[in-house]
Amino acid sequence: MAEQDIALMAHLMRRAGFGASLDEIEAKAAQGYDNVVQELLNPETQEAVEEDLLTRYNPSYHEAAAIENNVQQWVWRMINSPRQLQEKVALFWHMIFCAGHSKIDSGQEMGLMVDIFRQKGMGKFDDLLLALSTNPGMMYYLDNTESHKTNLNENYGRELLELFSLGVGMDEAFNYTEDDVKACARAFTGWNIAPPYPPFPHGRSPWEFRFDPADHDNQEKTFLGETGNWNGDDIIEIVCKQPATARFLARHMYNYFVADEPQIPAWRLTPPRDQAAIEAMEKAYWDSDHSIKAMLEVLFTSDFFKADAARYAKVKNPAEMVVSLLRMTGEFKGYKPGLFDYSQEPKYMGMDLMNPPTVEGWHTGREWIDSGTLVERINFASDILGNTELEGVQSLVNRLMNMGDKLSPEQFVDGCLNLTGPVVLTDDTLGQLISHATQEGELSHGTDAEKSDFTRRTGEMFQMIAATAEFQFE
Amino acid sequence: MSTHLFGLTSRTFKHSHAIGRAEFAGTGFRNPSDMAIAPDGTVYVCNRSYENRPDGVHVTVVTLDEEYVTEFGAYGEADGEFMWPTAIALDSEGNVYLADEWLNRISKFTSDGEFVSKWGTAGSGDGEIDGPAGLVIDADDNILVVDSNNNRIQKFSLDGKYISQFGSKGSDDGQFNMPWGIGLDSDGHIYVSDWRNDRIQKFTADGQWEASIGSTGNGVGQLNRPNGVSVDKDGDIYVADWMNNRVQVFAPDGRYITEFHGEAVLSKWGRDKLASNPDMIRQRSLAFANDPGYEQKLMRPCAVKIDSDGKIVIIDHTRNRLQVYIKEDEPALV
Repeated sequence: MAEQDIALMAHLMRRAGFGASLDEIEAKAAQGYDNVVQELLNPETQEAVEEDLLTRYNPSYHEAAAIENNVQQWVWRMINSPRQLQEKVALFWHMIFCAGHSKIDSGQEMGLMVDIFRQKGMGKFDDLLLALSTNPGMMYYLDNTESHKTNLNENYGRELLELFSLGVGMDEAFNYTEDDVKACARAFTGWNIAPPYPPFPHGRSPWEFRFDPADHDNQEKTFLGETGNWNGDDIIEIVCKQPATARFLARHMYNYFVADEPQIPAWRLTPPRDQAAIEAMEKAYWDSDHSIKAMLEVLFTSDFFKADAARYAKVKNPAEMVVSLLRMTGEFKGYKPGLFDYSQEPKYMGMDLMNPPTVEGWHTGREWIDSGTLVERINFASDILGNTELEGVQSLVNRLMNMGDKLSPEQFVDGCLNLTGPVVLTDDTLGQLISHATQEGELSHGTDAEKSDFTRRTGEMFQMIAATAEFQFE
Repeated sequence: MSTHLFGLTSRTFKHSHAIGRAEFAGTGFRNPSDMAIAPDGTVYVCNRSYENRPDGVHVTVVTLDEEYVTEFGAYGEADGEFMWPTAIALDSEGNVYLADEWLNRISKFTSDGEFVSKWGTAGSGDGEIDGPAGLVIDADDNILVVDSNNNRIQKFSLDGKYISQFGSKGSDDGQFNMPWGIGLDSDGHIYVSDWRNDRIQKFTADGQWEASIGSTGNGVGQLNRPNGVSVDKDGDIYVADWMNNRVQVFAPDGRYITEFHGEAVLSKWGRDKLASNPDMIRQRSLAFANDPGYEQKLMRPCAVKIDSDGKIVIIDHTRNRLQVYIKEDEPALV
């Protein structure tokens, strides 16, 4: 297997999934890049999570009320789901269609919302937007439950346009007016929630969307230049045919899957990093009748995605940092106690899953990193990679030993970098690692003492790699 | 006037009452996984809870009249602690045995909850266990362990000495795919919930296969990952049809009789909880008017046991309560 094929497959699995063990990357590289892209894009061709087993060992996951249970379950799926792109796409939408537990106060609703992203996240954008607009958690989070024919609340109407579909503007122009916001909000009046059961004494019932025709504004509305007696589904149809929507989605996809873009509020005035890439994805949106999968197919098979310049061009978000390490080392494959602590790690790194800071979501890219979160990231990564007792880390050590009876410090460092990424370092950082490895000289593993020393040194080298600036990127 | 009767009408059932509410301690349950009922009506319920609420992991002792007795045990690996409790059983002296499918051990407690001893070695050899999921104690005070990941039933003395085994992995008669619950009839026949084969298998006391009940599905007599199984004094078989959210009842010959979907009204402890939360009473009344069935129905029932009076007690797992049915000799007026 050519090294460049492995490196490209590793890049694909980091972006279209949460990374993989080297064994898995090699197996996928042997399948061929385009075949793997098709598998990722068509999750139904992959094994599903075995829901019976998952809830047999974690019975509380079924209709889980507690937010911690829902976050833990999602992290388990990120680690274990064979349908990796499905989970990655669920996180993508969670970072755009932001709603949080701090207001919703129902872990189950957060879990159900993420499940919509999982199930519909690669389908037709209109369908996803309709599912979002009838999602009771979102209706409550953005106050649509408080928006009435006689007493309008514009919050959902505004965020649907500003954050969920059109964006504020593009090519320096604005995409909608205040009148459009108002018309949009009026069209969604009456979209509400049936009364759910309270938490006591037997747990909340799942919230249920309910349309109340008597509370719906039936008057004529003019929205984005079109006049009619619009209801919410009409608004979605109009929104989905706007050029701004295709642009907004393409930029979000580029930002999440390819390379960090400026923060979203700057998009009206700041052109895309790669205009041609954005246009190619926009074209896919129109050619496919608004298919998200079609846009992703263009993205993952494009030269701009495969290019060297796109590799390690993104700061790992905290979920990616935590889950990719657990996947790389084979930790938490299957069912065992102990996942709760790991599932909280993204929060310590600044990403409280299912509870974004505001409806605008997290600031991404280099803003993931500050002095506090960097320490958390490095400590977590080096704790995992340096723990040579873990089965997955042990298997990396064994692979390193299989490289030869004796390894020079250069070979050793090169091998460690390959196994943990492959990670590409600047010459300066690489020189420092080699210099450190040279202090203890050549490595061999013929005797038990040498094996033990080899293992110790590998764990230390993994920890040093985890502490590099380069390891913060993917 | 003629009356048309269909099906097996010689038995009639009615819902009696519900017990419990969702709590991490005291007067309620949290993700209860199994129960055992003593001859005097005392019920031992093992609670699995979840990882970030280890305080919910313990055995709750209640009566079928919903009187709280005590609780014992805690999350952990030390003596008297457990991590993933799956099953609980009582011997003829009232001692309590609890299976932990993560630690692969059986812990013994007195009827008052004092830790006595533990046994169990992880593995697949004779007498070793991998994922104990069901327990039942026979008339000779031997303990039958559903050794789930080894796809077999093993018989031990009460102090853990290996006696015998039957079963292997597969879907043929007498084979298993991750079996879970286990029950006995009054003649000593053994009934096993063959979880991933979606069937109940009946064996003689020495492990000879006799019959199978059920197939995969959600239709009449079909099962979706059955868990608990018990047999009443008439030989009728009750199966917790876990992922179909119901309990099915079969005649001794395996013919379908009926099914319970749950009809719970508020338990005593449920009322107590609501009494101190008027906002919840208000919200619940609106929800009830919108969908009265939601709260009443079984959700992931995982165990069904028969008490000495013939009451049928179901663990309504996700709703954190027990639902009790009775089988009437006279036609039940419902």
